[in-house]
Amino acid sequence: MNRITASCRITNRGVFVDGQLLKPFSGDDPVENLGAAYKGLALDYPKFYKMDLLAKAAFLGVEILKSNCPDLAGDADDDPAMLFANSESSSDTDLKFEESYGNNGLPSPSLFVYTLPNIAMGEVAIRNKWYGSQMFAVFPNFAPAYYADQARLLSDEGAKKWICGWIDVREKLDVLLFALDDAMLHEPELVTGIQHLYDN
Amino acid sequence: MGTDVFVTGIGVISAIGLNVGENLSALKSQRSGLVSREIPSKKGAVITGPVPVSDEEMAEKLQIPDRPVSRTSLLGAWAAAEAWQGHEHFSALKTGLISSTSVGGMDRSEVFYKDYLGGKPADFGQLRCHDSGSTSECIARSLGISGYVNTLSTACSSGANAIMLGARLLQQGWLDRVVVGGTDALTSFTLHGFDSLMIYDSSNTRPFDESRAGLNLGEGAAFLVLESERSLKITGKQSMGRVRGWGNAADAYHQTASSPEGKGASLAMAEAIRTAGLQPAGITYVNAHGTGTPNNDQSESVALKHIFNDQVPYFSSTKAFTGHTLAAAGAIEAVFSILSIREALMWPNLNFSEPIIGTELLPLTSLTAGRVEAVLSNSFGFGGNNSSLVFTD
Amino acid sequence: MASETLKNELKGHIIEQLNLEDIKKEDFVDEAPLFGEGGVGLDSIDALELIVLLEKHYHINVTNPEEGKVVFYSIDSMADYIEKHRK
Repeated sequence: MNRITASCRITNRGVFVDGQLLKPFSGDDPVENLGAAYKGLALDYPKFYKMDLLAKAAFLGVEILKSNCPDLAGDADDDPAMLFANSESSSDTDLKFEESYGNNGLPSPSLFVYTLPNIAMGEVAIRNKWYGSQMFAVFPNFAPAYYADQARLLSDEGAKKWICGWIDVREKLDVLLFALDDAMLHEPELVTGIQHLYDN
Repeated sequence: MGTDVFVTGIGVISAIGLNVGENLSALKSQRSGLVSREIPSKKGAVITGPVPVSDEEMAEKLQIPDRPVSRTSLLGAWAAAEAWQGHEHFSALKTGLISSTSVGGMDRSEVFYKDYLGGKPADFGQLRCHDSGSTSECIARSLGISGYVNTLSTACSSGANAIMLGARLLQQGWLDRVVVGGTDALTSFTLHGFDSLMIYDSSNTRPFDESRAGLNLGEGAAFLVLESERSLKITGKQSMGRVRGWGNAADAYHQTASSPEGKGASLAMAEAIRTAGLQPAGITYVNAHGTGTPNNDQSESVALKHIFNDQVPYFSSTKAFTGHTLAAAGAIEAVFSILSIREALMWPNLNFSEPIIGTELLPLTSLTAGRVEAVLSNSFGFGGNNSSLVFTD
Repeated sequence: MASETLKNELKGHIIEQLNLEDIKKEDFVDEAPLFGEGGVGLDSIDALELIVLLEKHYHINVTNPEEGKVVFYSIDSMADYIEKHRK
């Protein structure tokens, strides 16, 4: 099959690009690990520090994809659609927000804005000025068919490329970002290929 | 493109009624469901649109045995049951459920959290409801649907996105019939949250009014049964209307605020009108998102003027009836859109007196009769997730 | 004029409350705008978070976001406001 040319996997072990270790992590603290990955990219985007873990993971994954997949960057007329999913919705930030109003009665607005999982896609859209359509689904486990099916559905309405993401961050970093284009959509092995990216 | 997408069942529960008939009669008599009441975790009275029925009553009437069970699940199952009434299972039909929610079982988690922090014995089972997916599973079980079950969570456009996904799945032959909608319960979580963003109006919300100062939260759920042509031949159901067009676009501007030029809103509306095969002039009535926040209504007004080239059709926001029901809003307003077409009525925008300076748009302020060919329904969510749907007869 | 001690303390609170990890106290120019391009570049959510900061550390309630625009213009304007209103 046509290879899925760009993928980025982030786990507690480190950042992997197309299966190759780009940056190893030394500890298990996701905030520190994602912060270290951000510093390694030498980007000037201080808003990164204000994002919640979900958005940080999505942001980093897409930045790394872009550097490895020049087609994605700077293509104004043909924005990619975003297909994201995870198993925990925004519960990491939900709990922090609950604590902010539960304990001292001072709900934090900057936490509240991240109590929706799709905000992570919004941050990516803001960063890249991507106006394409977006979908966020919640599944018990990684679901490779979701990406293949949704991309095929949207392709009939004119979409040509997709940024796909699985972003779980609460228990441990379990993040996969990959890019699909319409040439890959009708490969019979697509779903297996996507599962392979996740397993690697 | 494939089959038409027919609506053959609708169900709704909101602050203005426990079923379609009650909602319709409230819309006709301009009766708002917003009330002022004390909220335990907040100081003073807050204006909300609560559904006047208890969890226990819903669980009993629906015969849902799950305990604990979240209010979000119960509201969803209630509306889905009404939509599904008169429908049966057919082995020849692939039937699915797409539910959507933004708070999920947060109402249960709040109970757990309070007990847990207070050092009381806390029921960890409450947390099983927290996951948005548990809401869909509860609704699917109550309807007996087990094939395709999906949960979407894209903030306040969730309900509209569930309808859009369902329509696509039918059109491309993946499913024959699908129950689609959204549900959200009132929670301290969202009350505090919108309050912390300073977009919660302490008086009644006033969409599209110059003096608007924010939204009021409501709760509720709505579901629609969508069927393909093939499905109609087997079920023999009558069409109540069609989902004709849809569009979703990113605003790429801010986590929560809409862009002043309404970019994402314009893209979504244009795409929905295009996929419906219509021109903007073919839209009779727009059910606007119209949350009553200074930012949304300004941005949406600019986008409406842009799409309709200053010839904006009849439009109104029904949020002052129901409150903003978040993930349920797009589905509740889809039901109101179908009712608009069937009843040849357009709903008034309550609490309006002065147009917004700069855009000067005038929403409908009274119940307006007339043939309704096509309704455009907008749902714009945090994260810049903007969706529009077109309904016709 | 508000005291240097207060301004210094305030900068620390701002960095902590707004997660400004890459900004140090020395990066603040007391009279420069806190919002918009340049400077520390705060945004509208930060403004809401500053309202929480005032309530948490100084027990001052700002109920009108419009008022916030004037109060949060700069470190100087914030410190002056705190001196006048702190309880």
